[in-house]
Amino acid sequence: MSYLRLENVVKTFNKTEVVKKLSLEIEKGELMSFLGPSGCGKTTTLNMIAGFLEVDGGKIEVDGKPVHLLPPNKREMGMVFQNYALFPHMTVFDNVAYGLKLRKVAKSEINTRVLEALEMVRLAGYEKRYPKELSGGQQQRVSLARALVIKPKVLLLDEPLSNLDAKLRQEMREEIVDIQKKVGITTIFVTHDQEEALAISDRIAVMYEGRIEQVDEPAAIYNHPETDFVSQFIGEVNRVQGKVLETYDDQKSKLHFFGNEQIVPVRYTRNSEVDFFIRPEKIQLSLANSDNAGFETKVERKMFLGAKTRYILKAQDKQLVADVSNTVLNPNQIQEESHVFAYWNPEDLLPSRKAR
Amino acid sequence: MQPVMGTEQDLLLKQKKKNLNRKRLDTWLLLLPTLGIFLFFFLLPLFFLFITSFKTFDPGSGIGSEWTLQNYIKFISDPFYLGVVWRTVKIALITTLVTIIISYPVAFQISKAKGRAKNYLTLLVLSPLLISMVIRCYGWVIILSNNGVVNNTLMSLGWIDTPLTLLYTEFSVVIGMVHVLFPYMVLSIMGSIERIDPSVIRASQNLGASSFRTFFSVLLPLTLPGIFAGSVMVFSLSVSSFVTPAILGGPQVKVMSYLTYEQVAVMLNWPYGGAIGFLLIFIATVTIIAYSKILARSEKGVAIQ
Repeated sequence: MSYLRLENVVKTFNKTEVVKKLSLEIEKGELMSFLGPSGCGKTTTLNMIAGFLEVDGGKIEVDGKPVHLLPPNKREMGMVFQNYALFPHMTVFDNVAYGLKLRKVAKSEINTRVLEALEMVRLAGYEKRYPKELSGGQQQRVSLARALVIKPKVLLLDEPLSNLDAKLRQEMREEIVDIQKKVGITTIFVTHDQEEALAISDRIAVMYEGRIEQVDEPAAIYNHPETDFVSQFIGEVNRVQGKVLETYDDQKSKLHFFGNEQIVPVRYTRNSEVDFFIRPEKIQLSLANSDNAGFETKVERKMFLGAKTRYILKAQDKQLVADVSNTVLNPNQIQEESHVFAYWNPEDLLPSRKAR
Repeated sequence: MQPVMGTEQDLLLKQKKKNLNRKRLDTWLLLLPTLGIFLFFFLLPLFFLFITSFKTFDPGSGIGSEWTLQNYIKFISDPFYLGVVWRTVKIALITTLVTIIISYPVAFQISKAKGRAKNYLTLLVLSPLLISMVIRCYGWVIILSNNGVVNNTLMSLGWIDTPLTLLYTEFSVVIGMVHVLFPYMVLSIMGSIERIDPSVIRASQNLGASSFRTFFSVLLPLTLPGIFAGSVMVFSLSVSSFVTPAILGGPQVKVMSYLTYEQVAVMLNWPYGGAIGFLLIFIATVTIIAYSKILARSEKGVAIQ
């Protein structure tokens, strides 16, 4: 039995459904990310779970009990906001103690629990500071301590890292996962940053236009996207068009693209035109077409990106982007305007589900 | 350092200094009209009045030539005048308190409204300021007088036998002042409510606070600066107001501005009028400073905000 359950949850704003019959089950102690572009309904869904928005249909259950009719102050969920939302007129101590005071916890216990929480987010000694005197990262840690100190049933993180700079963001996300695992709290992490979601989640729910496109572990989301949206949203892809030449009984088809033929592990209809995706890092380049596996392309541009080099290629008037590790292929070997051969493993093709 | 480098450095410094002077000049030029008016039509006359308040009264020419403290001593040692001071301050304080209480919900609702509704509501709140002070006051006279709207209604309903004394009381003065001054309070509180990050309110609810508790623990402390700014405006405008107490209070409810007017325009005793005027300024300033001190102590965080 899952711990947090959303069942056919609906939210309508001005007659537009922004969350459409969304169902999801989250296990106890799991870190689930809601990932999607802005306007996909991820924050709306989070706000419905927190109780800031009413559901217009369906239900939300925590630990088997329905909570969607309770006001936000009765739901016992800890929330960390994008802009920290600390109380500017209270010290760090008072901010963290706020929830405990409301729960009529004894003064001595408040003291120990607040100090423990601040210790956990590595802010011991900052009790007497005001939020304004802290950096963004420190403020977000106070916010995390404030949410966790009340021992909520679910921790809700609403894009908690998006106001921080790149380096701090990475540090903070590791810290959040560490704390989350240590406390073992069921957590929902809302983000539009796929790298963030891939790095920290137990599972990711990819959302698009008010629906969940796919719920899966990060590697599965990346390697086996179930919809076109997921293929294109998670990581980068090249869209390639091909023609099915031959189909075989064992779930395989022979495809024709860029004057090349390849047998791929997907079942297609014979003679149909199909789309598929290939990730830039799955494209391999070589100067010689040794075993006729590749097709010829022209290097339009190359960009040095540190560990890898990005090549913008042109094959039969179609543009392809390939990222090749500099340890595999020395970028000095390949000049712009020159011709190279590109190829990939048939297993790396991501078939498009959209019928053409 | 080489000589060539030195001259280049000097040139750079000179140019920098020039730019800075230019910037300063611009600032002063922009301030000049306001400063001029402030200086010549406010500070200077006030200064002359201050000097006048230390002169004796001469029935012939108005202002005598002798220096004296008698004007101030006369005021401070007379219970009647002290009573007027107390009444003036009391009316101003009650007005301020009432405006805070009625303005807060209005400001809260308006700041929650969106787009066009918000503009219309703001205009509605500002509407008392669009009507002449005198006309508005006579409107209240019609409503509050012995055979006015309120008394007639109550008598025809049989709830009272003799008309209630509503007009020419401190009550009627407070009503008239609240009516004209509450827009200042609404605007000022609105300003501070709108500056609050809405997620702070959500955070409070999320941590388990009821709406009631959220109001007193989060919303109210964070809007204190707005309440304070509004209070200073409303208090200083009401403590020195003249038209409203004159029409709605009359001679029965004498306030300090009325006393000043009496001395200057009726008795032609300019020195005494000047002294009363200065005491009014003094009292208002002291009250506002005391108020801000108390506020600063009760809510330390506001200063930090």
